[in-house]
Amino acid sequence: MKKFSILALTVLAALSFALVGCKKQAKSNTQKIIEEAQSMTLEELAKKAIEESKGKKFYGVGNSSRGKSALPLFIKYLQSFDSSYTLEFEWQQPKNNKIFDQLKADSLKDVGTFAMTLIQDGNQIETKMVQTGVLDTFIPKDWAEANKIDVKKYNGYLALQTLNKVFMYNCVDTTTVFNNCWDFVAEGKHGQFMGIDSEVVGKNFLYMLTAPKYAKNLKDAFDALPAASKTALQAEIDGLAQQAKDLGLDENGKYALAWIKRWVGSYTAVSDDGPICSNLVKSDSQGQFGLLVYSKLRSVEETATTSKNNVKIAAYQDGYQGMGGYGYCHYLFVTDNSPLPWTACAFIAYMTCTVDGFSAWGKDMGGYSSNPVVATGTETKYQHLTKEGDKGYDWWVNQGKLVLEDPAYCASVAFTVGAWIETLDKAA
Amino acid sequence: MEMTEERPISRWALFWAKTKTFFSKPQNVILVVMGIVCTFTTFAPIIAILNDTVQVHAGTIDQYLSGKAEGFTLVNYKDLFTSRLAKTNLWIPLLNTVLVSVLSCVFAILYGGIFAFLVTRTNLKCKKYLSSIFIFPYIMPQWTLATVWSNLFDSVAVTGTKNGLLAGFFGITMPSWWCQGLFPSFIVLGLHYAPFAYILIGGIFRNMDANLEEAATILDTPKWKIMTHVTLPLVRPAILSTILLVFGSSMGSYPVPHFLRLTTLSTKYLEMNANYAGEASILAVIMMLLGVLIMYFNQRSLKSRKSYTTVTGKSGQTSVINLGKAGKYIIGIVFIILTFFTSIYPIISFAFETFLPNPGDYSFLRTWDFKDLTAKWWITSENVTENGMYGQKGMLFNSTIWKGFGGTMLVSVACALTAGTLGTLIGYAVSKNRRSRLAGYVNSVAFLPYLMPSIAVGIAYFVLFSNKYFNLYNTYFLIILVGTVKYIPFASRSSLNSMLQLSGEIEEAAVIQDIPWHKRMTKIIVPIQKSSIISGYLLPFMTCLRELSLFMLLCVQGFILSTTLDYFDEMGLYAFSSGINLILIVTILICNGLINKITGASLDKGIGG
Repeated sequence: MKKFSILALTVLAALSFALVGCKKQAKSNTQKIIEEAQSMTLEELAKKAIEESKGKKFYGVGNSSRGKSALPLFIKYLQSFDSSYTLEFEWQQPKNNKIFDQLKADSLKDVGTFAMTLIQDGNQIETKMVQTGVLDTFIPKDWAEANKIDVKKYNGYLALQTLNKVFMYNCVDTTTVFNNCWDFVAEGKHGQFMGIDSEVVGKNFLYMLTAPKYAKNLKDAFDALPAASKTALQAEIDGLAQQAKDLGLDENGKYALAWIKRWVGSYTAVSDDGPICSNLVKSDSQGQFGLLVYSKLRSVEETATTSKNNVKIAAYQDGYQGMGGYGYCHYLFVTDNSPLPWTACAFIAYMTCTVDGFSAWGKDMGGYSSNPVVATGTETKYQHLTKEGDKGYDWWVNQGKLVLEDPAYCASVAFTVGAWIETLDKAA
Repeated sequence: MEMTEERPISRWALFWAKTKTFFSKPQNVILVVMGIVCTFTTFAPIIAILNDTVQVHAGTIDQYLSGKAEGFTLVNYKDLFTSRLAKTNLWIPLLNTVLVSVLSCVFAILYGGIFAFLVTRTNLKCKKYLSSIFIFPYIMPQWTLATVWSNLFDSVAVTGTKNGLLAGFFGITMPSWWCQGLFPSFIVLGLHYAPFAYILIGGIFRNMDANLEEAATILDTPKWKIMTHVTLPLVRPAILSTILLVFGSSMGSYPVPHFLRLTTLSTKYLEMNANYAGEASILAVIMMLLGVLIMYFNQRSLKSRKSYTTVTGKSGQTSVINLGKAGKYIIGIVFIILTFFTSIYPIISFAFETFLPNPGDYSFLRTWDFKDLTAKWWITSENVTENGMYGQKGMLFNSTIWKGFGGTMLVSVACALTAGTLGTLIGYAVSKNRRSRLAGYVNSVAFLPYLMPSIAVGIAYFVLFSNKYFNLYNTYFLIILVGTVKYIPFASRSSLNSMLQLSGEIEEAAVIQDIPWHKRMTKIIVPIQKSSIISGYLLPFMTCLRELSLFMLLCVQGFILSTTLDYFDEMGLYAFSSGINLILIVTILICNGLINKITGASLDKGIGG
């Protein structure tokens, strides 16, 4: 019996190691197609897609559920060229960071299941997906032209949109004022925020604060604080100077570390931006604030105790100093072993180069197309700036001092600044 | 004299004859086949996850520390156990896991055990009602009580999120330790698993020989002494069984500690998975080791009492303790109030939540104006955002919810059928060969997955089937496979217990009559032990319906109802999650009722019938 068990376990061990330890083989077919596709118009791509995928099934995977809404519009678009065109599709939206495991596992096959992905978290994309050759970037011709980019020289990813998470606070108690981004980490303040371990783009935001540009912004905001507030923070900031140096940060890095330390030690982790929004808009949430996606406000229904008017956007207030929030992108990629690379390219081009293609996201405020032509068209069609008071992407980046995610920078500090963040005490 | 030459039987012929004889018995065939199947389904995932702990994962800490892009390294072990993050990433979650598991056991046994005693051994009032209602927390997904807890006790002042009902309407703010962390986690898990204790301990109380207690009474033994020296030792096996089941289940619970903000090994696994993938796998291995440890204690307890069954014998006499004229009513009322908060209030709260205009917006309770209620979460048939639907259709028209419901039914039925059938066969085969080592091995290896934390089993299967040859993520096949492996013990134990009660002569008589095995099973064995065997199908079915920890890493939301529920809960769309809870509860009650009517088996009649 014992021998039998040992033999069985040995065989199983060998089998299991073989199953999970297989290495990926480099594939260049998709890259060749991408190279060709990058010089083609959307119409040309559409025809290639029809040729390739008519009557087949298309699998996409993404962090946004709206890919599922965009696909029927894409099929309708292809049917405008060939009315007999059909495409079955399945759009998956894994949670708990499983999208990376799923794409990695799929990349081990000669021909994968997923044709493309819409994915967030530049840091993990860079280190787990791009450097390992799991995903390939496709830049549509129209998108490159709209952004005045030379595709051959462009090394970045293709962003579908930038989403912003901004500081909002309950304003029922009119004495509560947040004039400066340092006010959100003042003693006794607890902002509501999605936990940095459950939504990793939040961690990237903290990494980005240590980049010279944003660390300088934090220093400037600190300088604008009243003297009393400065005094309360100064010793802590100075105490982190050596740490900043050890982490290879510049002279303003200590401001970034101080803000991060206070934020991590004070924020109340909430499972999603939805509940944060629901909490803030209540009349009995005086003094509460959060860092959440702008678009959540769209769904609030006015009642006796709940109103959008109970909330103010910090960066919109006169005299506000410092960052108004942070921005991160939804990126589009073709899988390197895509079963339908032409269709994937056409779908990506459709979403990034047409207002209809972007409408699944564009119909709601808070997401800004990376294509300026589409952004303008979306605003003309949905009028978020006019009707809903959104100040737009350019305002947020310049006046709102949005902290924008840079995948390369995040990847470079993930295990230096990142490891330091892990050691910080989190709020109970 | 002529000698007749005896031709020696060759070793091969002897072996062949023995093998043929061995395999001529169906129970031996079952044992060999199930031994192979269970060995693979139990050990292959463990080996796969062990392999994952030493692999280099691109873009994670092991790549950074080892300087390798791929290959193998032991750096994950070194970093997890010795780095400055060891306390945060390992020791505190481990301590919390053990504490929450132990305290959940204690609470479940005290609450469930006392209730079982009162229902079975006293003249308590409203027994039938209380008995049915007591198991509701087990029927509901475990984290629903956690959300109810938050909705009751959270406050802006203490938890910094929202005012729950107590703070919002009565201005009462509970302290932090009450609102989140260890205390509410073990209370909620204890309440969820108290029905286990009730079913197991109640089973013994119900069948206990009253002569022992009566003898003690005649000898003028004080009541407390009878309880501690006679009654409790008799229910010891049931208490042990409850500890084994509750400890294993609590240890692998993800949603309750997650919602109530307690860092355990399972919540830490998900936190670390992005950047510390290999170290997270070590946490899963630790959880599995704890499962094996429980298995060891289980084996020891099995040896001491020969059987897992908690029914120790049947007595013609049962003694009923008189609680007194007022006592039987007072205690009854106390339990009616308690079960109201654990069983009825959550359902009312779920139903109410589906009519609120915004998640958690209780304006109606302040204004009593029906304008502050809405049916939009049910009846909105268009995909709109303007009226606060967050891009979702109402529940009656929401294809995600109904697709998830279909998926859940498929998984539950398939798991119940496969786990029920395989478990019944294992129970039968083991009972026929109870002294054989192979039977002991199959019995143990089939039970092991149940004692392993659900989340760890899910992780292991994900790792095993995410490779070049098999990528089974988000397939019903994988979910059914995992569910089957995890829930075979429900059926195997139930079947084994009942088969052990069955005299061998019954089947032997049929064998003499040359009746084939399948006929013996379908015409004799199964009909006799129908009730227990149906329990073996019923429990996997019920458990699968609201299982989350086991399946959450194996599929996307919308694939089955529990992951959909979790998705809406995380999104803060409590109307949807509450509505799904109602759908689940109603489904389970209907199924339980139907099966009870048709077969006489019922969930509250217990594991093992």
